[in-house]
Amino acid sequence: MKKLRLACILILAFSPSISFGGVRHFTFLYEAPTSARGSLELENWVTWKQITGPDRSGEVDFRHELEYGVTDKFQVSVYLADWFYESNKEHSGFAYSDSAIELIYNLTNPVDDPIGLSIYGEIKAGDRLVELESKVIAQKNLGPLILAYNATIEAVWEGKELENREGEFSQAVGASYEISPRISAGIELLHEFVFPKWRDEEKIRNLFVGPNVSYRRGNWFVTVTALAQATDTDDEPNLQVRTIFGIGL
Amino acid sequence: MKLKRLAVFAAAIVCLVDLSSCGTTSFAPPPPITAELARAGALQHVDLAALREGRALFVSRCIECHTLPAVSQHSATEWPRIIDEMAGRASLKSTERDAVLAYILVARSQSR
Repeated sequence: MKKLRLACILILAFSPSISFGGVRHFTFLYEAPTSARGSLELENWVTWKQITGPDRSGEVDFRHELEYGVTDKFQVSVYLADWFYESNKEHSGFAYSDSAIELIYNLTNPVDDPIGLSIYGEIKAGDRLVELESKVIAQKNLGPLILAYNATIEAVWEGKELENREGEFSQAVGASYEISPRISAGIELLHEFVFPKWRDEEKIRNLFVGPNVSYRRGNWFVTVTALAQATDTDDEPNLQVRTIFGIGL
Repeated sequence: MKLKRLAVFAAAIVCLVDLSSCGTTSFAPPPPITAELARAGALQHVDLAALREGRALFVSRCIECHTLPAVSQHSATEWPRIIDEMAGRASLKSTERDAVLAYILVARSQSR
C-alpha cells in the first residue's frame, strides 16, 4: 500500500504539465484567489519543527495535496497523505497521520474589491483523529504588495475512542512583496489560542513570526517560511520551517 | 532565547519595511472600463464585451501566480509574447487570451 502511494506521488510529480493552479506566497496562510477552472496542481509540503523543553524532540511533517479548480471561484483539494517523522528520547520513526478534503469558495477579488474574501472548510480523518477546520481568508493586493489575513477555528477529536477533545482559534497575518516577476519575500505571523477539552482554563497562547520567500518558474513554485516562537510554550516548536513545492499537472 | 526571538522578529520587520520601500510600481489597480476606454477600444476594433471580459480575466487569473504589472510596464510589441507565455499557466482559452491582450493594449494606449 505504501509503495503504491509512493509510486502515485512520483508519477504525479514528474508527469508532463499542462496547466497550473497558482502560486503560494505564504506557507502558514491561505490566499483568497482560487485555482482557475480545470487546473490541477500537486503540492508537497515539508514542515520541520524543533521543540525544546523537558521532552526535547524534532519532527518533520509531510503532506501531498492535489488541488483542482472546479469553477473559477471554487476549488477542491485532497490531502492524499499527511505523515511525519518524529525523533525524541523514547523513540523515532515514520508514521501515517491522516488524509483530508478541503473546499475553498472565493467571494470577492483582492484587486478590484475593497477586500478579497474566501471561505474555507476542511474535514480531516486519520489514525485516531478527526478534525474539522473553517477559515475566513482575507487578502488585499496593492501593486506589488500582497497583504493576507486568515481567521481559523478548529475542532479536534483524538485517541482510541476519539475521547480527547481540543479546540483552537488562530489568526495569521502575512505580507509578501514581489521583488521581481519570479521572486517574492515577506513576513508571516501566526497567533494561536488553544482550548484543551474546549475550555480556556490553561490560557495557552502561542505566537510565531518569521520571514518567507517564494520563487516561481514555468509551471512550478517553491515557497519557504521560517517561524520562531515568540512565546514560551514548552510543547510548541521553538523554530519551524515549512516548504511548499507546487507543480501544475 | 528571548533575545534570539526578538532578533528574528526585528529582522523580519526590517526585511518587510525594506522591501516595501524599494518599490516604484504604481499601487493603482488596472484601469477600469470607462466610456473613454470603450471609445479607444472601438477605434481599435475591440468591443465593450471583450474589454470587460479581458479586464475581468486579467484581475482574476493572473493574480493566482503574481501581482499585476502596470499595463504601461511593457511595450505593445512585448505584451503579445508575454500573454502567450502565460496563457497556458493561467488556463486561458484562445478567445480569453485574445480578450486579455485586447484589454491590455487598449488600456495601455490610454495610460500616460
